[in-house]
Amino acid sequence: MGKLVLNRIAGALAAVFGASILSFVFLRLFPGDPARLVVGPLATQEQIDAVSHQMGLDKPLWTQYWRYVWGFLRGDWGYSFGSGQNVTTLMGDRIPPSLELGLFAFLGAFVVAVVLALVATYQRRPIVDGTVRTISFLGLGTPPFWLGLLLLLLFFVHFGWLPGPEGRLSAATIAPPHHTGLYTIDALIAGQWGTLWDAIRHLILPAFALGFAPFAYLVRLLRANLLDVSREPFLLVVRSKGVSRWASFTRHALPNAFLPTLTASGLILAQLIAGSVLVEKVFNWPGVGQLVVDSILRKDFAVVETFILLSALSYVVVNALVDFLYGAIDPRVRAWSPPV
Amino acid sequence: MEAGRIAATQLPRTHVLGRWARAAGRVARFIAHDPALLTAHVLLGVLVLLALLGNVFWSHDPNTADLNLALHSPSASHPMGTDSLGRDVFARFNQGARISLIIGAIVVVAGALLGGAIGVLAGTFGGWTDNLLMRCMDSLLAFPPLILAMAVTVGLGVGLKTATLGVILTTIPFYARLCRSDVLRVRSLSFVEAANALGARRGWIMLRHIVPHLTSTLLIQSAAVFGYAILSIAALGFVGLGAQVPTPEWGSMITDGLNNVLTGGWWIGVFPGVGVLLGVTATSIVADRARDIFDPRGEYLRF
Repeated sequence: MGKLVLNRIAGALAAVFGASILSFVFLRLFPGDPARLVVGPLATQEQIDAVSHQMGLDKPLWTQYWRYVWGFLRGDWGYSFGSGQNVTTLMGDRIPPSLELGLFAFLGAFVVAVVLALVATYQRRPIVDGTVRTISFLGLGTPPFWLGLLLLLLFFVHFGWLPGPEGRLSAATIAPPHHTGLYTIDALIAGQWGTLWDAIRHLILPAFALGFAPFAYLVRLLRANLLDVSREPFLLVVRSKGVSRWASFTRHALPNAFLPTLTASGLILAQLIAGSVLVEKVFNWPGVGQLVVDSILRKDFAVVETFILLSALSYVVVNALVDFLYGAIDPRVRAWSPPV
Repeated sequence: MEAGRIAATQLPRTHVLGRWARAAGRVARFIAHDPALLTAHVLLGVLVLLALLGNVFWSHDPNTADLNLALHSPSASHPMGTDSLGRDVFARFNQGARISLIIGAIVVVAGALLGGAIGVLAGTFGGWTDNLLMRCMDSLLAFPPLILAMAVTVGLGVGLKTATLGVILTTIPFYARLCRSDVLRVRSLSFVEAANALGARRGWIMLRHIVPHLTSTLLIQSAAVFGYAILSIAALGFVGLGAQVPTPEWGSMITDGLNNVLTGGWWIGVFPGVGVLLGVTATSIVADRARDIFDPRGEYLRF
């Protein structure tokens, strides 16, 4: 087991290292001089040279790469070429809104997916099952940004029930005192119920738009796994001991069906990141996705590289955590020692 | 023996055609018996027809602006309404279908060729070639695919062509990993060993004995990638990185619709999104059923 874990970690580090090189090379190959972007179109050649010296752009590529990786490891993520702000503070401002949106989207998707998958497999009625399957297919084909547009048209323009694309809070609401950066939790801590309600109202539509694809994916996976598990002999034993059908489903089949969804969490995370980049634009959500799109358009290397490294790291960490969790949750994995 | 060979080559041509026709008939019957598969094929067929013949039977031009006609809601003369410049949304929708389907096909073919080649090379040669290639693929996978495609697009100069290149790049690792694992499976089978024992060179074994076994894998994966490509191109167009302004592409049409949310022009953004939804859903149904038929154990990656 130890060797396997070491191999796993080495592979993960190699992937992050590769991603850092790839992103670095890609972004340096771009035509267009970032120093020129910083000083503006009217600057003289001397000014451009001065700025590119200050940014280290005149150094050889490998020195630049080394500075980038070393800086990243020390938490010094450089300065945005576009706005001149420190990337670390920029990310600190932009990540909490995205995190809040992503968490709400994922929790909603997960809970609804579990309920629907249970209902579809428990009832075994073709109509229910067919509906769930159709929804899951539609969910995977729905562009999240278009779903956001649709939701806005329905619930904001037509019914007027929920707020429009105005970010995280209404203009009249003051942000709660900063603890975590997640407005719902900060408002809870401060006991500002009005602010909490406003924050939740602003979260509903974007979270729905963002969570629909992961939901569709999860419900499909859970349904298939529940069907597989429900054919296992141990469930027959459970039922013959006198456990009710519902309890055998929820207590015995469901935990087993969860395991493969853990493996899929890397893919779900990727879907959430990709989705948030687009959904944030629709709802004017001041998150990291909008920042990255703008930065890519402005060729702001410092921000894009940091974001790529952060998401590669989180992807790798999530997948590694899943492997360890597997051992913790499933005794069979622990007992099985691989023939290495 | 000699006589038998001559007889076989002199069989009338119609015989072969008849075999093809019978095979096609079997496939058609199979599709007709599966409601989901039938629906998916009908939807795809409609989209293909609109893309091919849209400008033949629908006389409106997708790019002719007429401000007198701006923001008309759907009616008999404009079934999907008109946008803020008075352009016919239905004509633009058809043109968008053409763009999406063509790009989907390009991405599928290019991704399968490049990714397949990498996977086959890694699988057949093994050792450090395998290690190097697969680490490269892992690094590509560690990128969020959309961000990777966006970076490539901006790097090469914004436009539909570079957006297509970006999307192709994101599909390569999926193809490569699948093909590699298939090659590893096939490589250990006895007929490869036999070819090896007969003195066949490695390149020959690879092309003649291993590659044909990847067909079903590639087909299934391609169906999934086709939908993914349509979705990604629309996403890139939506953030302004794909098709440029007058081009009627579904993603950029949705952006246009977003700009018209408050004026109530719902039809501008809703219809192109329906196009993406139908195209992607139909292909993912096809991919799913194909997977069930060819691979009951479910080893293929799902997008």
